[in-house]
Formats: sequence, structure tokens, C-alpha cells
Amino acid sequence: MAPSLALPLVFEPLPPAAASSTGGADAELVAQLQQGSEAAFRTLVERYQQRVYSTAFSLLRAAEEAEDVAQEVFVEVYQTVATFRGETALSTWLYRLATSRALQHRRRATAKKRFAYLTSLLGLHNQVLHHPPDHAHPLALLEGEQQLRLLHSHIGRLPSQQQVAFTLRHEQELSYEEIAAVLDTTVAAVESLLFRARQTLRRHLHPSLRHA
Amino acid sequence: MPNPASPSGPDHEWEALLRRLRQQPPAQPQPFFYARVQARLAARPYPRGWGLPAWARRPAYAALLGTLILLVSGDAAALRPTEAPDSYRSYQPGSPTSRPAR
Repeated sequence: MAPSLALPLVFEPLPPAAASSTGGADAELVAQLQQGSEAAFRTLVERYQQRVYSTAFSLLRAAEEAEDVAQEVFVEVYQTVATFRGETALSTWLYRLATSRALQHRRRATAKKRFAYLTSLLGLHNQVLHHPPDHAHPLALLEGEQQLRLLHSHIGRLPSQQQVAFTLRHEQELSYEEIAAVLDTTVAAVESLLFRARQTLRRHLHPSLRHA
Repeated sequence: MPNPASPSGPDHEWEALLRRLRQQPPAQPQPFFYARVQARLAARPYPRGWGLPAWARRPAYAALLGTLILLVSGDAAALRPTEAPDSYRSYQPGSPTSRPAR
């Protein structure tokens, strides 16, 4: 049996920045969700699963972790939609959940990895640390792919806000206004984040670009 | 030395790289994603910390709150050790437990 939608939840009201982009279809969907419609939830998942999953994947670069985050986002939406007041677009809310949960996931994973490294140094566990396998041989990869891999690797090292702004702009193709709504900031701040992100990435990729 | 103004300069290459990033096929979840979300919901029907503010979910704060409630409600008397009847403080002049008159 499906759990009831009528659950008391904690949800911070979102700024009205992206309210103008709220589509009528989404507003109708939210209204149905708030009435507890299972079909509306299915429609929501099917409509947004690709965007939520690919945003999480862009930030985590791991299919399993992206799947986990995407599921978590929809569960949270289901459980908190009762308090959604429609002050922002549904998509903005979903992007906000996806990016914040993905970053949270990554912070936890990094902390776990550091702890595992520390315990391995102290000899508390005799387990071997496993790193994600890299089967790619430089010569086997095409030049363009190599550059993309390098770019992804440097995107992953950007500060969180810059990384989210860059990913939403260049992979999800969101407008500056939409990114500002997701990050709960101003368009000028988004421009600044993107400018710094591009500068950092270009600086790191410069030798690779010159020799491409 | 590469000329930044030329179509083959770093600017052009950077733009081309960003274009390639944008043109990548979007990552897709595995099939039956909705079924997995439903299964997760069924496993956890209530949100974490349901009905409680964040601070109340910390055991130390919850214990402190419990103690405060006990103290304020007066039930803390039950927590105090009972004094022996022959102790000095148990003697109340005029009370039925005072010494018998000679």
C-alpha cells in the first residue's frame, strides 16, 4: 500500500525568483500531488527523472550514487509536497533538492574516504582501499574524450557553488535566472560564480587546449 | 605562439569543448526507476525526524529537555533521595513526628 501524502514536513519556502517560470501543467501536478494522487506522483517522476538523475550524475560522476540521490529527491518531494506553496517553479525545487543532496552525498563520501584512509594509516583495518577502476588507456581514448574527461575532473574540483552553477549552465542548459533561483542567490552572483569557474577551468585546461 | 583571435586559438578550443560538453547524451537512470522509488517509499513511509525539530533529534538535547520538564513539573522530588526519619532535617517542631512530651 502506498504511504499517505498527508505528512507534516519541514520545507523552507523558496524565493519568488523563479515563480514566473512555473508552468500551468506543473501547478496542476502539484495540486494533484497535494491531494494524494498516486498517478500524479508517477507523472512527476516520469517527467523529471532524467533531469534530476543527470544533474546528480553531473555532480557525482557515478551512476550508482546518482541513482541513490535521484531516488532520495523524489522520496523527499513525495513526503514534503504538502508544504510546497508554489512560490517557485517545481523544476527549481527539484534542481535545488538534486544539487544539495548530491553535494551532501559527496561530502559524506569524502569524509568516509578520509576516515578510511586514516584508519588504514593507523593500521586499524587491514583492508585495502579501493579506488574506482580506470580502465581507460590514454592512447585508447579519442583526443576529444580525453579533454572531456579532464574537464569533468576539473569541474569536480571546483568549489561547490561554482560547480553547481557551471553544471546547471553548461550541462543542464538552465538560464542565469533559473540558476539563481536554484542557488537562492542573485543573477549577478551567478555570473560571478560562472566567471570564476570558467577562469579556473581554462587555467587548468590551458596546456591541454593549446596542444589539442 | 597561438593567436587567441584565430579560429584555432585557445578561445575557439574552449568554446568547442563547452559545446561538446553540452552535446553529450544526457545520463539516464536505469529502466523501472519509478518502481525503485516506490519501493524506497514503502521502506521509509515517514520522513526522517518526522514531527520533530532538528535539535530534538539530538539525544543530548532531548535528555536535557526531559530533565527540564521534570524539574519544572515538580516531579523531580521523586529523584531526590529520601531522608532518614532520624536525621536532623526531618525534625519539624510541632509536627506529629516531634519528640513526645515528658
